[in-house]
Amino acid sequence: MKAYVLRRLLLMIPTFFGISLILFLILNLAPGRPGAQQSADLSQSMRGEVTAESYKIFREQFHLDKPVLFNTRFTLSREEVRALVSAAAGIGQTTAAERVHAQEELEDLGASAVPHLVSLLDAPDPKLRDAVTYFLRIDATRPLITPFDPRPSPDVRARNRAINEENAELRTLRYRTEDDAATKRAVTDGWKRWFAAHRARFEHGARDKLAMFFFDTRFAAYWHNLVRLDFGVSLTSREPVTRTLVSKLKYSLTLSVGSLVLAYLIAVPIGVFSAVKKGSRADRALTLTLFMLYSLPSFFVATLLLYFFSQASAWESLRWFPIGGWQSSDASELTTLGQWRDIGWHLVLPTICMTYGSLAALSRYMRSGLLEVIQADYVRTARAKGLSERVVIGKHALRNGLLPILTLLAGLLPAVLGGSVIIEYIFGIQGMGLWVVDAINQRDYNVILAVELFSTVLVLVGLLLTDLSYALVDPRIRYE
Amino acid sequence: MSALETPGVPRTSYYSIVWRELKKDRLALLGLWAVVGLVAAAVGAPLVSQDQPFLYVETGHWSSPWLRGLFDRLVFESAVDIFFNLLLVLAPTFALLRFVLARALGKSFAARQKRLAQGFGVAFVALFLAVTPATIGGAENPLHYSHQVQNYRLQLAAARAEHRVVYAIFPFHHYSYHETNPAESLVPPNGEHWLGTDTEGRDVFARMLYGTRISLSIGVVAVALYVFIGVVIGALAGYFGGWVDSALSRLIEVMICFPTFFLILTLAALIRERSIFHVMFIIGITSWTGVARLVRAEFLKHKGLEYAQAARALGIPVRRIIFGHILPNASAPVLVSATFGIASAILVESSLSFLGIGDPTVASWGETLNAGRVDNRLWLILAPGFAIFFVVTVFNLVGEGLRDALDPKLRR
Repeated sequence: MKAYVLRRLLLMIPTFFGISLILFLILNLAPGRPGAQQSADLSQSMRGEVTAESYKIFREQFHLDKPVLFNTRFTLSREEVRALVSAAAGIGQTTAAERVHAQEELEDLGASAVPHLVSLLDAPDPKLRDAVTYFLRIDATRPLITPFDPRPSPDVRARNRAINEENAELRTLRYRTEDDAATKRAVTDGWKRWFAAHRARFEHGARDKLAMFFFDTRFAAYWHNLVRLDFGVSLTSREPVTRTLVSKLKYSLTLSVGSLVLAYLIAVPIGVFSAVKKGSRADRALTLTLFMLYSLPSFFVATLLLYFFSQASAWESLRWFPIGGWQSSDASELTTLGQWRDIGWHLVLPTICMTYGSLAALSRYMRSGLLEVIQADYVRTARAKGLSERVVIGKHALRNGLLPILTLLAGLLPAVLGGSVIIEYIFGIQGMGLWVVDAINQRDYNVILAVELFSTVLVLVGLLLTDLSYALVDPRIRYE
Repeated sequence: MSALETPGVPRTSYYSIVWRELKKDRLALLGLWAVVGLVAAAVGAPLVSQDQPFLYVETGHWSSPWLRGLFDRLVFESAVDIFFNLLLVLAPTFALLRFVLARALGKSFAARQKRLAQGFGVAFVALFLAVTPATIGGAENPLHYSHQVQNYRLQLAAARAEHRVVYAIFPFHHYSYHETNPAESLVPPNGEHWLGTDTEGRDVFARMLYGTRISLSIGVVAVALYVFIGVVIGALAGYFGGWVDSALSRLIEVMICFPTFFLILTLAALIRERSIFHVMFIIGITSWTGVARLVRAEFLKHKGLEYAQAARALGIPVRRIIFGHILPNASAPVLVSATFGIASAILVESSLSFLGIGDPTVASWGETLNAGRVDNRLWLILAPGFAIFFVVTVFNLVGEGLRDALDPKLRR
């Protein structure tokens, strides 16, 4: 059993890796650059270099300047860089979109473009030379190490200081287009001197290149943080995603796990009842009701319940429940018990909406599962032995009849998590679902990934629990 | 195969048995009739509700704005509407043609019936592609922006006021699903607007009616797509086994653990100019795992059976064994799951548009329901809610009926 669990846990790793890879690729290869909205906002408020620089810092912080999956930037040739610089500087036939694209790509290239840019400093075209100096200043400056660490170690602090000093020095290596040739020459020479002094930083051996190919990428950077359970920082609120995720969990898990448990608790007796009374009027009424419930969309039920039974109801005598939220605004003044009751009062309607769907599915499966078992030989044997009906059903049939609805747990989990999105949206509960909808609308990639990966883990664990619970219910199933 | 049949014994195919069983299930039959009704409502929507008159006569000048509007992307923005409108025009034409041909050809008609049906299908698709050039990608089609759409109701009123002699025959309910009217926003149901109007003054009845088109096409197209993907992956995994199976099974496992609804949300939100086709595609590519597992299991069972071995021994190419021999025998559970799938695809689409991540240009039930929630108007909640409920119930009923008919264990 232990070995089986261990093997399953180990198997989860590649599955999780695959899922994270697919999600990561979808998010990163989707049209529209992550954080592009930030850059648009910035470009409206501040123009020019400040924008370019702060946007670059933003991209570096979130590793958005790196290639998505594989880094082949060491194969970059001088001609490619020249073409990019020409396009960015608007030399030759270029559209505005091409120009912006080339600029962004040059900014993203960072250090790997530096040697080529330096070699282009002597290009004959003065316009190209100007552009080269401009992009050198952007690409040669280095980001700080761990910019979000509130208390860096002395070593890191020293290195950051060195980087800052060098960046400040590099920022002075500039000229305006209208400056005379001598000033320009001096700046160009300054760049060459700097490059000669730091040449080693830009030369890579085969092993460095291999490491860069796999590890100097967005995906690697993301996983590097992920193994430390660090989902990064929200692109919009700049708060650590992990911390917010944990704070959102209490809402979402209470809702989804609570409603699942409730659904199982109610579904089993209903299923048993209608299986035992198969064909009776009560069974037929139950079956029909459950079928209807099964087909009723939860957002419809939620909207109706809110319309009739919330504070917004047109009938005063029906204003039983709040219109949404997790607790009342004056909840902090209540006693602990009062707070619990307040939360419970808020959760009645959302829980109903999240429960009835899975309840209907579960009891239908429970009924058919038990019906199949009741026809089995061993149940007939049990009856023939003269056991009471209670023992026959409760002890002999029920255990096997439970198997099909245990299988459903794994399938229900993703559905419940997905359903919680809509319920949280309707009832304004600040859980994971509402959070991810907001994040999706704002393209907050770290948040989207975190929520999706977290629910993946939940599903994986759910699958494992399902398989393990088989063994509990059915002694024939053993995991070796 | 007819040479092998024993004379005197009627040939009963698998699906004719299923059909016979299905006919005994009254609820499922009811569901099937409801599906027929839904399709009829979807196809015939412009006959019932449209703001263009069938016939407009002014000072001896006759025109049919309704007919002209059927293929005008200003009147019908979405390609889904163009599809159903084409069906509306061509289905009676084909039926008539079939009737005439059957009379003219007599007995030889039966032999050509299949060819004829195929011909109709091809002609339909060709015409659809011809009528909607650059269909997918929304209404940005310069071909269709050649003129202004006239408001014939206003025109008629103006003509009457000037005592001109004007005749117009409108559809029963003379509102389109997208015509906004700020002056008439949030009007409760009345004789004019049978189900009231929404926030922007659009007629809710027309939106419900045209929403049938969206729901049905979402259901059918998304399910067709994922059945296709699932069948191919499941068949390959089940038939070939070995490393192909392990690789594909791992892929299936990975897809199962995906939080599907989140994935659908993300994909839908990442697309800038969403059309209804994007939504279909997204639902299609994320929901195929169930079908793949079913087909894989069926293929594992069938590939060892005698007929499959015989086919292999005869040297029939693998592709034909998989898709021509085993697949038809393994398709029954897929059919059941596809029927349920239509119901859930419709649910997913309406949830998406409820969340505001649908196609804003089409009449989607979820969107109206959300408007009802925001504005707290009962008629905006009930109409779309029951529409979704009805369609989902209908497809679930048919699915249940099919499952019972296919599964001898559950037969009563």
